[in-house]
Amino acid sequence: MSDQTSSFPAEFRAAGTDLSERRRSGVSRGAIVDIDVASAMTEITWDETGAGHIGAFVTIAAIAADARIALNYPAFSAAAAGLATPQIRNVATIGGNLAQRSRCWYYRNPHVACLKKGGPTCPARDGNHLYGVAFDLGPCVTPHASTMAAAILAYDGTIVTTSRPMLQIRNFLGDGSSAQDNSLVPGELITTIQMPPPVPEAGFYKRAISRTHAEWPLVELVTRLSIADGKVRTASLVAGGIAPVPLRLSGAEKVLLGSAISASTIGDACSAAIAAAKPLPMTVYKLQLLRGLMHDVLGRLESNP
Amino acid sequence: MSSATFNGRTESLPADADALLVDVLRDQLHLTGTKLVCGAGVCGACTVLLDGVPVVSCLLPAKAAAGKSITTVEGIGAPRLHPMQKAFMALDALQCGFCTPGFIVEATAFHDLWRAAHGAATPSRDVIGAALSGHLCRCSAYDNIFRAVSEACAGRYDGDVVASPRVEARDKVTGAAKYTVDIKHDGQLEGLVLRSPHAHARITSIDFAPALAIPGVKAAIDLLDSDREVRFVGQQIAAVAAIDRSTAAKGLAAIKIAYSVLPSVIGADAARHASAPLVFTGNATPANASEGTVMRARWKGNVRGPTAAFSQKKKKARAWIAAARAAGDPRLVEGTYRTSIQQHTSLEPHAAVARFDGDRLTIHVSTQSVFELAGKIAKRFKLDRQNVHIVAEHVGGGFGSKGTLGNETMIAIQLARSANAPVRVVFDRDEELSVAGYRPGAEIQVSLLPGADGALKALSMRAHADAGTGVNSMISGLARLIYPAEAKDLVDFDIVSNLPPGAPFRGPGGPPMAFALEQAIDDAALRLELDPIVLRKRWDTNQNRQRLYDWAQGLECWRTIAKPATKTGRYRRGVGVAAGYWLYLWQLNTKVELSVVGGRLSASTAVQDIGTGIRSVIADTVAREFGLEAHEIDVRIGSSNLPEGPTSGGSRTTASVVPPLIQAADKLKAELNKRAGRAPKPGSNAPWRDLIAASPDLRVTAQRGEDDASLARGQRSLLKDAGWIGTIFGWMMRRFSHMAVGAGAPSSVQVVEVEVDTWLGHVRVVQVHTGIAVGRVASMPLARGQAAGSIIQGLGYALYECREVDPKSGVILTAGLEDYRIPGIADTPLIDVHFDEGGFDHVLGGSVGIGEVATVPTAAALANAVYNAIGLRPREIPLRPDRLLSLLEKGSSA
Repeated sequence: MSDQTSSFPAEFRAAGTDLSERRRSGVSRGAIVDIDVASAMTEITWDETGAGHIGAFVTIAAIAADARIALNYPAFSAAAAGLATPQIRNVATIGGNLAQRSRCWYYRNPHVACLKKGGPTCPARDGNHLYGVAFDLGPCVTPHASTMAAAILAYDGTIVTTSRPMLQIRNFLGDGSSAQDNSLVPGELITTIQMPPPVPEAGFYKRAISRTHAEWPLVELVTRLSIADGKVRTASLVAGGIAPVPLRLSGAEKVLLGSAISASTIGDACSAAIAAAKPLPMTVYKLQLLRGLMHDVLGRLESNP
Repeated sequence: MSSATFNGRTESLPADADALLVDVLRDQLHLTGTKLVCGAGVCGACTVLLDGVPVVSCLLPAKAAAGKSITTVEGIGAPRLHPMQKAFMALDALQCGFCTPGFIVEATAFHDLWRAAHGAATPSRDVIGAALSGHLCRCSAYDNIFRAVSEACAGRYDGDVVASPRVEARDKVTGAAKYTVDIKHDGQLEGLVLRSPHAHARITSIDFAPALAIPGVKAAIDLLDSDREVRFVGQQIAAVAAIDRSTAAKGLAAIKIAYSVLPSVIGADAARHASAPLVFTGNATPANASEGTVMRARWKGNVRGPTAAFSQKKKKARAWIAAARAAGDPRLVEGTYRTSIQQHTSLEPHAAVARFDGDRLTIHVSTQSVFELAGKIAKRFKLDRQNVHIVAEHVGGGFGSKGTLGNETMIAIQLARSANAPVRVVFDRDEELSVAGYRPGAEIQVSLLPGADGALKALSMRAHADAGTGVNSMISGLARLIYPAEAKDLVDFDIVSNLPPGAPFRGPGGPPMAFALEQAIDDAALRLELDPIVLRKRWDTNQNRQRLYDWAQGLECWRTIAKPATKTGRYRRGVGVAAGYWLYLWQLNTKVELSVVGGRLSASTAVQDIGTGIRSVIADTVAREFGLEAHEIDVRIGSSNLPEGPTSGGSRTTASVVPPLIQAADKLKAELNKRAGRAPKPGSNAPWRDLIAASPDLRVTAQRGEDDASLARGQRSLLKDAGWIGTIFGWMMRRFSHMAVGAGAPSSVQVVEVEVDTWLGHVRVVQVHTGIAVGRVASMPLARGQAAGSIIQGLGYALYECREVDPKSGVILTAGLEDYRIPGIADTPLIDVHFDEGGFDHVLGGSVGIGEVATVPTAAALANAVYNAIGLRPREIPLRPDRLLSLLEKGSSA
């Protein structure tokens, strides 16, 4: 197997909740690099501006259970509480969550070639892309797997890696035009997630799934809003499960800013959110789900006339 | 070398970076209570505590356990049971038991945290559902799991009382129960299967020498048929046995194969085109996707059929319906329905461990049929039947997929023979979810014509089944045995394509038939402006269901039913009803033995408990006959060396074993009296206990006899209502399947309440009421669990479960539990089970089986409820968010 191993890249291993499955199936065959965990990487600290610094080895469960995180970054906290299963959250790390590989059922099948595995084409594009993207931004039609990346994007957070001290989350993720899941280079490791100083806001996380729990999102929505005098002052909306990268819904944010939240602004925001969508034959429903999620979340803040 | 503490003992950990904790536990430490099911962190069967925190051991690198403390199910409640274990036992929060260790580990951790924080407060259903969302139970014992977790948290199981309606429950909640996958002989090898990467190919050469040259590879065998062709991705080509799994995998990779790729066609829609390549040519024969005998039928391209033996005046039916259609008769109801492929998803995969001792073969198999399997193996491998011993002490689910001589069993035997060593073959989850069988998909066209007098005049049903390389699915034919009409045109077709073959699945053909027919009946009621139950009472003459309709009409939710047109807003509630039946089957030649050995009463027969609880039914029946407690009876099952017992299929076990048990009990009582020289003392509390304790060793046997037709109250075998074809069918079942079709119809009527989220395309099932007539209930808590589990499986079929394939290559994409979505605990509605215990007085003991009839109407009742909620007819299942939203959009633009 050694000749095979050499042609596969080495991979860092955090808790292994993604990697172990790919090792068992044979999708991952390179060397494993277990990480020598510095204690700073397992802690949440707060600087003098009040901003949170989250070590890459902090577990999702620890983030979801942290009271100060919940107070300062409510949408981020809710996203952590809403992903995967309790057992996975208990060990999975935020660094691993950000760097996890695609859940595409072609990518995960060891017998099928695909762009993410160095193959020539995306078999999902002309094949079965039931859970694929509705914003077709690049060669690969599978949505990004990281819920925490969507949440960090909503906060304009920064990633600290072993080689880049200030990697904006949007640059970490890219714009979806490549088949890579992120912009990490071989040997580069996430060490910290740096959140912005907190501001007063309402924050929400909601995912649309077919069952009640424990399912990868068909579509998910991270929402941050602040309202003063009946008008939206700040808005940050990120949709996941719908594009090759978590998608900042800038058009919808523009509609909301300065407006009172009403049925008509929600409708306009939804239209703006999906204006640039390019659904695939099997993914039109994801746009309906995104509208449904926006109605659900924004409707909670609707000002009474 | 690093180490960790396992249930208080320090053990070393392997140095291999790829070693996973689950394998260390199971293979190195023999802690087999921890089960490996999905290998992907979805199902939770492998959950253990790592420093007190629940984690999935299937994804946890062994290295990550270094210096930590691991508690497995074996370490929980040792030496005394944890209150949660007692609650699971007492409230029967388990069936096959394969998921139970994982649930126990998680639930005990939840209990301890909850009690520390909340004292003896009762956690809500939502809290429990979220806490256990990382666990799946395919038997769907969720209803009782909710009860067990909430009652244990409330402190109701803190005492010393340990009791269960399920006799083997203690072994299942402690991880002591051994399943086939847990068997390990000295020198045992691991067998793996090489599978086709092509949907259709001929293998032109195959060279095992490079595989056999690898140290540790002990055997390599060819599994191809004589035509050397494979007809689906995943079809078996060869197998290797080696000292361990990774060596076997290397062996598979080393086999040199040359393929000549042939034209293929994927899926029924593509395969029915006139230009589609033929799947079967020459002498190749498709697999049998049903329990019935494959009869000759016409082929046209890849379409087999029509088979229409259960029609009745079919030309008249066709003519009447055509005339009604031409005339625009408003009473004519027509529609086309589609049902998806449903995977059995037994949590214990197909597995076999074969071991030869000279000419004697002992084989542990995860099977629904220990007795018949021994005969089939003896015949197939030319062994003396006496020298074949099948063992299946515990079976982790079957649902119809483990009823025959399976490939895993044949491969284990061949490898064991070839390697001259014991061999274990255990399917991986991707094999289980692709090549181990499934309920065929179907497209069903229905036309239903009420006459001017309001009676059902004509019914036409044409079903095209999609069972890959399997045939013989019967769906339409089942519509003969419910709702009598003047004329019925019932036609079944199979469409073959280059995909794995289907297999019988709980009520084969029943749920798709009901999905189409019961929605058509609902439509007819709307057209005729009748209450759907009133119309069923008019058209359905069966006396068992008549009683169930009366019960359903009295339900509060049914009486407050609202007209669909009035419903608006995001969330819309609806109520729907559907009826179902199954045949009452029992197995000829079933024998039981009752014995007194050392003063204890023992019952034996070669049946197997796949989670349905037959072991407990036997204990309860014998205990009842002798006025004893169930734990005073030793039940011996799960071995082919015992007296001939029934296959666990066709809902036949209870109706096969209870009557001879009662007969044997009468015989044994006579023997006991004779030896004691006296009858039991009148007025004694336990008259037989003393006689049994004092008795010398005794042994009686009894064989299942025919029912007493004089007690059947005019009921006949359903097949007798189907005319001459029914008679032939019944004869064939007796002759070839050793099954008798008894009098009367096991029946169910279900009323489902749903809430539809029209924004997110989600259906929440609020409550299900199920009325079931299967005679006297042999063991109430277990029957209730079966009924609830059947409903939840039916809801999975209706809402979530769908096999997806790549339309070009034929690769199965839903090959893991992350993508093949079965219901979780939080998807469980409130469940109200009503048993109507009449109708089967002609059966000694009065009981017939429940497993299938209870799942037949569920998807149909749900669809009718959704229609009631949104005024749109869901004609395709599963009703996933994408389908529901598309239906709503079409409805709003119409």
